[in-house]
Amino acid sequence: MAVIGVGRFIQQRQDFEDSIARSYQVEMRARVRLAEGRDVEAARAEVTAQNRRRRELQDQISGDTRDTALLVAAGLIAGLTGALLLFSGLISSMRRPLEELVAAAGRLAGGDRSARVEVGGLSETATLGAAFNEMAQELEAEASQRDQLDRLKDEFVLTASHELRSPLTSVQGFAELLMLDRDSLTPRQAETVEIILDNCRHLVRLLNDLLDLARSDAGRLAIQPRPTEIAPLIEDVARTIRAQTEAKSQTLGEDLQPDLPLVEAEPDRIRQVLINLVTNAHEYCPDGASIQVTARAVGAEVEIAVSDNGPGIPETQLERIFDRFTRGDAGLTQRVGGTGLGLAISKSLVELHGGSIRAASTPGQGSIFAFRIPVANVQRSAPRPGAAAEAS
Amino acid sequence: MARVLIADDSETILLLMRTRLELAGHSVETACDGQEVTDRFANGNGDRNVDVLLLDAMMPRKSGVDALRELRAAGIQTPALIVSAHQNPGDADAATDLEISGYVTKPIDFDRLLERISELA
Repeated sequence: MAVIGVGRFIQQRQDFEDSIARSYQVEMRARVRLAEGRDVEAARAEVTAQNRRRRELQDQISGDTRDTALLVAAGLIAGLTGALLLFSGLISSMRRPLEELVAAAGRLAGGDRSARVEVGGLSETATLGAAFNEMAQELEAEASQRDQLDRLKDEFVLTASHELRSPLTSVQGFAELLMLDRDSLTPRQAETVEIILDNCRHLVRLLNDLLDLARSDAGRLAIQPRPTEIAPLIEDVARTIRAQTEAKSQTLGEDLQPDLPLVEAEPDRIRQVLINLVTNAHEYCPDGASIQVTARAVGAEVEIAVSDNGPGIPETQLERIFDRFTRGDAGLTQRVGGTGLGLAISKSLVELHGGSIRAASTPGQGSIFAFRIPVANVQRSAPRPGAAAEAS
Repeated sequence: MARVLIADDSETILLLMRTRLELAGHSVETACDGQEVTDRFANGNGDRNVDVLLLDAMMPRKSGVDALRELRAAGIQTPALIVSAHQNPGDADAATDLEISGYVTKPIDFDRLLERISELA
């Protein structure tokens, strides 16, 4: 419509200019006659008439222009409305495929690797849909390859751990057999067997740690938390380690807040974290040091802290203390039997419980490792049944 | 003193376990896999002669768990300990269904194993 309006406007303008030109021509001829003195009266009247006519034409064209302008405006509005209508039709025909794309992308991002869109609609959205499907296909292939590699790694670690355990069982078992008859061994032989046993224990720890880490990496380090009393766990760990701390004349103290709430935890795994932290303190502290285990309720969590008055940890090492294979002072670690994996595993385990772990230290004064785990929803109903059947 | 049937595919492990158990006063029979265990019971001289089964979880031919499954299906209720290389062997359901009395992880803590055998015998 706008085009028609503009066309008409141009045509009117042309007609107007033609008419004006003709009017001037007629007037010019009349003025010539006037100058020559021919038909003077008629010529004078013609000049007046043509002037009037041009004025009329001027008036008319102004009105027409206004009308045309209005017409053009109306046309433009109508055109725009039409375009908008057309466009909104286009938009709504694009909207569904786009919404589908967005939803599929969301599913894909959320881990649903089979997310695809139906390719259809306008050619543009169809192309987009096809590109999306292609991308999703590649992602799925990559992910399944990665899964397969993870499975292979897992299987490898499990198999290696199994295969290593059998000979290790023999070495440790026969060395223990020798020690059963300790009195018949010379002191030197006994010491040799002790070294074999020490190294067996170290290997076992390393194997267990590697297995845990591999499981944790694969997201398969599963825990089965249940309402658990924390105080007996701490006392049990202290009892287990006391022989070692006493051998270094270290004091191992406990300061447990009375009536601690039950925590939501797998006892064996929390025991593992505790043993790790207390063993670290024992191993990195000199003879005669003091180690303290405290437990207290903090909001909806229980915080268990192991602190010592040992050499402390420099700030640069503290930053990476929970990274695997990060260990304390090299000179010290040669005397210390850890695997460099304990804190990394402890962190994984605490986080699996929905808790957190942190370390703080003042070099020369001591270190503190503290972790928090959530309290259980169920509190002290019946006495907890004994731990699962486990013979060794 | 208990009569214990041990199944393991490693002769060294069998020797080690036999020695430790016999030193503690138990009498020991050995089998090299689960098949040998089920065969013994199939011959009818099983449950009268054995107080405790000590079965390795992973063995060629027939695993300890598979052997135990067959024994339980045949109505043989001899207490059984499963020896496994891993820290968290089997699932709780298998332990309930097969009435597994406990798990022993490698390397073996013999003090605890001997304690457990005495409880079961």
